[in-house]
Amino acid sequence: MASEAAAAHGGHDPHLAHHFTSLDRQVDAARLGMWLFLSTEVLLFAGLFVAYSVYRYSFPAAFAASSRTSEIWAGTVNTIVLISSSLTVALAIHFARIDRRMPAVVCLAITLLFALAFLGIKAVEYTTHFREGQLPGAYYHFEQVRLPGASMYWALYFLMTGLHGFHVLAGMTVLSVILVRTWKRYYSSRYYVGIELAGLYWHLVDLIWIFLFPLLYLI
Amino acid sequence: MAEHDQHHSALPYFAVWVALIALTATTYFTGRAHLGTWALPLALAIAVTKSLLVILIFMHLWEQKGANRLVIATSFVFVALLVSLTVSDVGTRFILATPAGAPFGTDLPAQLEEAGPEHQPPAGRIGEPKGVPQPK
Repeated sequence: MASEAAAAHGGHDPHLAHHFTSLDRQVDAARLGMWLFLSTEVLLFAGLFVAYSVYRYSFPAAFAASSRTSEIWAGTVNTIVLISSSLTVALAIHFARIDRRMPAVVCLAITLLFALAFLGIKAVEYTTHFREGQLPGAYYHFEQVRLPGASMYWALYFLMTGLHGFHVLAGMTVLSVILVRTWKRYYSSRYYVGIELAGLYWHLVDLIWIFLFPLLYLI
Repeated sequence: MAEHDQHHSALPYFAVWVALIALTATTYFTGRAHLGTWALPLALAIAVTKSLLVILIFMHLWEQKGANRLVIATSFVFVALLVSLTVSDVGTRFILATPAGAPFGTDLPAQLEEAGPEHQPPAGRIGEPKGVPQPK
């Protein structure tokens, strides 16, 4: 199968770019590039985690009180949803590795459904906060917690979960493209690095939520 | 390459998933119990354990090249440096360096008493409540 494809491309694997000597080297370079990108993503969120640390240290009572009025059920359910979506994306890569195309496609589709569920729950949560006035800065009008620093908690809450939400959207876009490509037999056990890199991005989204959940919902 | 192994098992992924759910339950119940001083270190320890499981098993870093491990480890070291140095800076400013009305260290004493002893700021940092912007 690989040799037919190679013959059609003048003697080399159709996936192999001309500036690489072998497919293995190309895949290693792709992985390293993805890890470098993920590091910059971690550092992007690090800025927000620093802001969070400073303001939580400065307003411990306001942060604790605000956290206890957050939608803890939603945060917990969303944690389970994201962990499960990480499992299905890992399984998709596993199936791609052993040339089982349809199970891989199904796993990617389930991952996308989990992502949709996550955003749906997030939307319900945001709606509640908007209605209750749990908002940043001058828009804060939540009667239950009247402490200085409470609006800062909600500013950080919306910044951190918002930036994370955009990452969920980006991840869904990437996973959709990968799903279609897998469906169209673009990948095989010989070359599946695209699914792998999309999976890495999705796991990062899960990773950041793993820290956001206890820090925002369970103070 | 090891990745082309046809007999690769999916079992570790399910095991990691079960462990992650169990750790989520642990962080949920310990978080709701409000353990005071140990709540934050415990929550962070659980989060670090969960992320190690995700990175090593789900993201396959366990079986990959050293360069990839070095990259992500370096970024975590820099995050730890950034957070710890910034917090230790804010935490060690003595009271004269925080004037009344400054956005830091100005929780009102009366409201702190309501909030319970575990949320008190470090001693000597309860400053002048005057000039603090009140929420509407």
